[in-house]
Amino acid sequence: MFDAHTRILNARLSRRRAAALGAGAAGLGIAGNPLGFHLHAQERSTINLASNASDPAPRERLAGQIENFNASQDQYTVEINTTAHEDFKQAIRTYLASDSPPDVLTWFAGNRMRFFSNNNLLMPLDDLYTENGWDTTLPEGIRAVSNGDDGSYYFVPTSYYAWAVWYRPSVFEEIGVEPPTTWDEFLAVVDAASDAGKVPITIGTQMPWTAAAWFDYFNMRVNGPEFHISLMDGKEAYNSEDVKNAFGPWRELLDRNAFIPQPEAYAWQDALTPLVQGDAAMYLMGRFLYDSFPDDSQDDLDFFQFPIIDEGVPVGEDAPTDGYFASVNAPNPEGAKALLSYLGSAESQTWNVEQAGDPAVHPDVSLDLYNDATRRSVEMLQEADYIAQFYDRDTHPDLAERGMSAFIEFWNTPDDLDAILDRLDEDRKRVYESDS
Amino acid sequence: MADLSLAPAAQSVSAARKQGRRWHKATPILFLLPPLLLYAMWVIGPMFYSVWMSFTNADGISRQDFVGLANYRRLFNDDIFWTSFFNNIRWLVAFITIPIVTGLGLALLLNNDLPGTRFFKAGFFSPMVVSSVVIGIVWSWMYQPYGLINEVLAWLGRDGMPIGFLADPDIVTWAIIAAGLWRQVGYVMLLYLAGLNNVDQTLVEASRVDGASTFRSFRDIVLPQLQPITVIIVVISIIDALRSFDLVNIMTRGGPYNQSNVLAQFMYIEAFNNYNMGYGAAIATILALISMVFIFTYLRRMVKTEIDY
Repeated sequence: MFDAHTRILNARLSRRRAAALGAGAAGLGIAGNPLGFHLHAQERSTINLASNASDPAPRERLAGQIENFNASQDQYTVEINTTAHEDFKQAIRTYLASDSPPDVLTWFAGNRMRFFSNNNLLMPLDDLYTENGWDTTLPEGIRAVSNGDDGSYYFVPTSYYAWAVWYRPSVFEEIGVEPPTTWDEFLAVVDAASDAGKVPITIGTQMPWTAAAWFDYFNMRVNGPEFHISLMDGKEAYNSEDVKNAFGPWRELLDRNAFIPQPEAYAWQDALTPLVQGDAAMYLMGRFLYDSFPDDSQDDLDFFQFPIIDEGVPVGEDAPTDGYFASVNAPNPEGAKALLSYLGSAESQTWNVEQAGDPAVHPDVSLDLYNDATRRSVEMLQEADYIAQFYDRDTHPDLAERGMSAFIEFWNTPDDLDAILDRLDEDRKRVYESDS
Repeated sequence: MADLSLAPAAQSVSAARKQGRRWHKATPILFLLPPLLLYAMWVIGPMFYSVWMSFTNADGISRQDFVGLANYRRLFNDDIFWTSFFNNIRWLVAFITIPIVTGLGLALLLNNDLPGTRFFKAGFFSPMVVSSVVIGIVWSWMYQPYGLINEVLAWLGRDGMPIGFLADPDIVTWAIIAAGLWRQVGYVMLLYLAGLNNVDQTLVEASRVDGASTFRSFRDIVLPQLQPITVIIVVISIIDALRSFDLVNIMTRGGPYNQSNVLAQFMYIEAFNNYNMGYGAAIATILALISMVFIFTYLRRMVKTEIDY
């Protein structure tokens, strides 16, 4: 299905391209330079862009951005190849290791990117950073997730999105509560929602990453972001008292039946339905929830920051950063750099934001472009002491799979927490010992 | 051909004969060579390569080093391996009992020349025509908390929380197996229908003339004649049960927390999601060994009983 879409998109692009070339040729013909058309048509070289933007809205935004790029210069033509988001994670290895890799690929900042840079599969982009001034203009936290372990830049970040607790103001009004800021206030909202016969928190854990968001926040709010990131790097034990403490508030919610029953039966999109219909009060989710929320109800959708549990702990937020990188063996290295320069520019990111895309990382993109809620989310991230990338991006992919499975097991059998964490720590030792 | 030629030198005749014989012997080998080479290249080679890979720490990108039995040691200490293994055993037990009994029953029923049998034959076989991806998706819809099955149960008067067929760790494997059986029963039925065509009707009639009851003539005349097809069906069922992957991958990806995992899905996640190609190859090797153990013990037993006849 996705392939068919890509083909249609490609066909549409190439039809426009053909039209543009035709118009150009006609113009040149009138100017009495029939050879010009020939040269002009051959000059453009192809840049292959492998994309994971398979959901309809992001896919159309990327197609539009690429159309702008194709129109902005006459040296290159970009071909987009879209792979379904989850499949892309597996396919990218084959892409990068092949003899003719795509020139530019969509990917995630931080450890997920470093795996490839450490294997010498990515093009170093230090010159691009100096040329465009990104080495000074981009926020420090963003630059810190764009370089490899060797200090070179390999990644062009373009956008990020905040995680937060989403709710419908009309539902909060109905049950008579205000958005909470502390843990006690949050529990009061949970109780009020239960009393009103609503599911306090909806979640779909058919794909277990949704549960990992809760772990990220509990661990960052209880133990602080610094501890969290060392746990993600495999430097702390999972069966320590600190980690067990992080499960305390989670247990509190489970004991109150705060979550929707049988979350494993739902994908994250399915779990959105009760929130839309007003049967559930809250949903911890990334900003991409907007794309799946019905347009006519978007005015009645707002968010609040994940409640503070311990006042004395620095505030960390999950804000996965997306962007692009180039293969070290890109068949069209000049084209790859030209495209990356464009995608990293304030101009192209502004366009993306105007099409309701995720907040841009470039500081020259005006905050006025965002709607109220998004501006508040950007401000929330700017005030945070630390920006994490999300559980399955921050930690080793192998351990992430085991960890997320452990969270779901805890969800089902909370009394077995100690045994679950002991086992997870065995996995941590194995993963990080085999790596060093 | 040499015999027909007139007065050639005796020597050259025998030489030609020899050469002809040699070519005659070589011909089948020459004809077999291309497919054998392709088979070695695409089937035998990769098989040995993946066994070799199971002794390395391959991750698909970096250099792979020989690590001896480390992958296997890790495997036997891995809880997920044992969960998946016992789930495969559940698949196996369900697949060699239910489809054979119901498939044979349906075949016997539909083998009669009653009106409408054609329709039902086609009906029971139609799941085989549908892609397993479609089966997985449709069954997961039916299993949803407010899906078809729960709605029907509620309509029949069942109270309380809807059953989380794919969420409850205790029933999730059986729920997926049920979807697999739905497909398998029609297949086994079709094989038995073909088998029933080969049953010698004169023997059945003779037994009836001699006063055998329907059950007796079924047990002592029809069933023994169905034995060859039963052997094939059991082997197919073992293979289908042990390689089950598509439905698990589509319906739960092995979740919740691996409670519905099977070896093939476990291998897929390790090799292609976590990029532990070496570990994944070890799982694949063990899975192949398990299949061989089941199939060979069964076939040996069958061969023995056949000799006993």
